[in-house]
Amino acid sequence: MAFASGGLNRLSSREPAAGPRFVFFALLSLVLMYYDQKDGWSTQIRYGLQAAVYPIQVAVGSPRKLWRATSEFFTARNELEAQNAQLLARDQQLSIAAMRNAALEQENARLRGLNAALPPLVTRHVLADVVSADMGRLRHRLVVDQGDRVGVFRAQAAIDTGGLVGQTVRVGPFSAELMLITDPEHAVPVELVRNGLRTIAVGTGNTEELQLPFLPVNSDVKEGDLLVTSGLGGVFPSGIPVGTVIEFARDPDQILARARAKTAATLERDRQVMLLWFDANHPARPVDPKLLSELPPASVAQPAGAPQ
Amino acid sequence: MTLDGVRNPRLFVWTSSLAALMLQSLPLSKMLSILWPQFFVLCVLYWSTMAPRVGDILIAFLGGLVLDVLQGTQLGQHALALSLVAYLAIRFHLMTRAKPLFEQTLLVVLILAIYEGVLWAIDGWSGLQARNWERWMHIIPGAICWPLIVGLLGRLHAPR
Repeated sequence: MAFASGGLNRLSSREPAAGPRFVFFALLSLVLMYYDQKDGWSTQIRYGLQAAVYPIQVAVGSPRKLWRATSEFFTARNELEAQNAQLLARDQQLSIAAMRNAALEQENARLRGLNAALPPLVTRHVLADVVSADMGRLRHRLVVDQGDRVGVFRAQAAIDTGGLVGQTVRVGPFSAELMLITDPEHAVPVELVRNGLRTIAVGTGNTEELQLPFLPVNSDVKEGDLLVTSGLGGVFPSGIPVGTVIEFARDPDQILARARAKTAATLERDRQVMLLWFDANHPARPVDPKLLSELPPASVAQPAGAPQ
Repeated sequence: MTLDGVRNPRLFVWTSSLAALMLQSLPLSKMLSILWPQFFVLCVLYWSTMAPRVGDILIAFLGGLVLDVLQGTQLGQHALALSLVAYLAIRFHLMTRAKPLFEQTLLVVLILAIYEGVLWAIDGWSGLQARNWERWMHIIPGAICWPLIVGLLGRLHAPR
């Protein structure tokens, strides 16, 4: 250490003293971090950086894409035929389901006493390719190749063909970062299709598992129950499949049951996700949390004599 | 040691750093990502030690910002950790250079541990759960890769 600051140092190199430079950069980082935490002006810097970094993201994601493209190119003819037959069969199934769906919508409207069925909830959707994926234990994020330029906004819902994928957390000009529903920091308000029981599904850090940590032991939940979004929370509209319950364990000593669900979306294998825009006047749109907070307190809203 | 063998040393350092940055942020499967060394950190360490005039804290800082954006971490988190790595490497570059490769590797383990420790501390400060052990695993492949990096980059810029 002595020789590093002594004469030898001057002999070997004429670099400017590293100390002040380090202090400068460290302070800069700390300031950035502080404002990033508070969602301050550094989000603007991030927005710019996201644009600058996008070529790197594409380049880094390209080997995987190339591998996929090559393997697709060399897929044997009979495999393609089998795939095609499968897709045709699926298409038939889906068109039958869609036919029934239209009839059901009409019936539903009649039952509700409406003159006509409601307009579609999703007014616009954009397909986005997955550019890179971060599937560590602590973070489940995807970067997709659509951003501000096509109108992607923060906290926008994303789905795949199976169900809910997640929401956008950061939007750059050409790209957006999605937080998946399995991210340990993510929670999505859900309800059981069978009985309308509402709860919250929290990510586990495992790519196909969700936790339902807030269900009392006496709640009516069975394995195989389908979970859909409840529409509360302000991000996801109601009715998007989230997963199915795969475990519901009651321990009499505990107040809460241990419940796990398997995601409906195939998060680990997704190459494309769909970003959704909603009709702002549709009854199934996400409920704005601001509106919820403006509601009168629960004790006033409940009818007199309601069981507590 | 100088960058005699290279026509434009600054360009060489920046391109190799960019390449290392891209190598580090390759999307990998979960298992492989644990065993994947952090090439950019090693590259910063190498240039700060071997060419402290060219391999600057600025590269470390900018690369750190890029990593923050790529990985969606707190803006400035990797930037701070990497600036510290670069500073330590520049501060002790004469000492490190004089050591045999094995002892250099031990120093690299120490610095990588400091790097992960800074990231870990900031994660904790910003309210992330910091219970993953995978983070600390990165140190081992990093240390194993150090002699390779020294061999490769050393051969590229200073034919002996």
